[in-house]
Amino acid sequence: MLRYLIAVTEDLFSPAILLGMLTAYVSLAWGKRGLRTLAWGSGLGFAAAVWMAYMKNATSKIDTGGWNLRIFALSLLALAAFWILSIRPLRARLGTAGTWAVPVCAGALAFTFLFYALPNDLAYPFTFSLNGESVFSTAFFYRLTGWLLGILLAVLAYFAVSRCAARLETRLVSVLLNAVLLINGAHQASKILQTLLTRRIIPPRHPLYHSLFVIARYTSNYSGYFLYAAMLATVSIPVALWVRSFRSKEPYDNPAQHRKIRASWRSARRWASLMAACFLMGTLNVTVVSAIQNRPVELSPAEEFETIGDNLYVPLERLEDGHLHRFEYTTPNGVGVRFILIKKPNSSSYGVGLDACEICGATGYYERKGQIVCKLCDVVMNINTIGFKGGCNPMVIDYSVEGGYIVIPTYTLIDHEKTFQ
Amino acid sequence: MKKKCLALLACGALILSLAACGGSPASGAGNSAANDSAQASDAQGNDAQPEALSNEDAAPGDAGFTEIPIFEDEEVGFMNVSAVYFQPVPMSNGNESIEDFDLHLECDISAMENNLGYGPGDWVPYLTIDYAVTGSNGEEAASGTFMPMAASDGPHYGANIALPNADTYSLSFTFHSPEENGYLVHTDAETGPGGTFDDYFADGNLTVTYDGWDYVPQEW
Repeated sequence: MLRYLIAVTEDLFSPAILLGMLTAYVSLAWGKRGLRTLAWGSGLGFAAAVWMAYMKNATSKIDTGGWNLRIFALSLLALAAFWILSIRPLRARLGTAGTWAVPVCAGALAFTFLFYALPNDLAYPFTFSLNGESVFSTAFFYRLTGWLLGILLAVLAYFAVSRCAARLETRLVSVLLNAVLLINGAHQASKILQTLLTRRIIPPRHPLYHSLFVIARYTSNYSGYFLYAAMLATVSIPVALWVRSFRSKEPYDNPAQHRKIRASWRSARRWASLMAACFLMGTLNVTVVSAIQNRPVELSPAEEFETIGDNLYVPLERLEDGHLHRFEYTTPNGVGVRFILIKKPNSSSYGVGLDACEICGATGYYERKGQIVCKLCDVVMNINTIGFKGGCNPMVIDYSVEGGYIVIPTYTLIDHEKTFQ
Repeated sequence: MKKKCLALLACGALILSLAACGGSPASGAGNSAANDSAQASDAQGNDAQPEALSNEDAAPGDAGFTEIPIFEDEEVGFMNVSAVYFQPVPMSNGNESIEDFDLHLECDISAMENNLGYGPGDWVPYLTIDYAVTGSNGEEAASGTFMPMAASDGPHYGANIALPNADTYSLSFTFHSPEENGYLVHTDAETGPGGTFDDYFADGNLTVTYDGWDYVPQEW
């Protein structure tokens, strides 16, 4: 659940802020004409994103990196045009076209924001059950819930930002909008650079290659800061609304007008609170929740066993609980070789294997809600196939069941000591 | 009404221009790089960097499948070795989930002239290949053992790996003798190819190390 909540927040929160600011600005500066053009751009962006999501999942025709390059290039062009055409004398010289120029640029920006951000998020539900789980499974439900919560948060953030900013002066909104557009433009430019370097379109022999790679490395490793910067630039909006709502001394002629003014500021405070809450949730999702989600899993401690001669003995009664049991044998070379035992469900047989697989190495397995999961790749094991070779299954070792014990010869563990070195 | 039509036309033109640009993305940015000549790196693997996208092996029409080269044509023992990466891929036998991975790392092997029975250019089966990715700070960022597998361009050794941070990495492959996996060579004069794996592995495993893999996570 958390994985998709974080992913959707990372993908959609920044576009939600940008679209919210654009909506407020065009409604203040361009009225219905601006809002309609923005709606067209957003609608076309959504339609293009649906098409892209379908093409990405149903075909192999989409080179995501190549498409992103074009979307970013178009977005930066639209941003440049938006800024240039915001110069009033220039617009005046364009006549009728000048009255449409800025709204069309805003529509084009909205188109690129949604076209870039939405496809992955629209397609997430189609990847939920890749582990072979049913759409009626608990795991699927949790993933869907995380995805929906992420989308809900982004939608709420969009409405909160647009409603709050629309209550401020056009000039202030314009300044804040340009700030978030500049931050987003820098982010897009950094992504263009990262793709050009990776694809060797800027070849390593280029004299600026190493300097550009340093920029690409830092902007990639600290890409979350672009979102923080956008939030920082706009967090003044709810603060300003709250302060103004208590300092407002608008004149009124009668009690009805007074009640109306008070209701208006009460509404402003509610939207400001919602915006602040969305920003707090968004920040928590990409910091605290992300840290929780990505915290390393601790393997359960190794249990004791008996050693007689060249064999290790584990009593079967200890495995009757059906849980994963981990053991560690130290070879004569001093290498700790871990192995796992589990009683198979609805069976009298046992799953026996190394605490390592051929794909992920000695990262180990852990128990999560009754399932055995590979710590590195998060693949859920079929408990009934533990002890069989292949895939991400634990590596197979020799064993026998004798006299109420699982008996494991030490040579089979020594043979695998290089896996744990 | 006329103005509305103009606005609609302008927005529609944006989509059309994008669609036209993206109709054959592999023939755009990707192929312009692919047309550059690829340089074979030297045996040390530290100097030359491949400058071409090698997606010519992709299935026709699979524009989304873009291999990004790391190094090409390192020669070790009787093998020619190249390394590429691309998007994480679902694989059979319980490896369908790609949620936690950033890329699919692939080691392409082909036999050179040899006396082990492989034809020049043949894929070499039964190898065990360990990989290690080390960051510029000297810490290991990823390691493991490749699995043999087949893609549309044939068999290879590969693995999905998690590598979330951009850095200049060192990539190391360690090749174990196919004999460790039970692959045998005829040793009689009549039917044998004339050599044994000891000709190459007598001193232990073979290793290829490439320093200078400038990596930035990609959106796939």
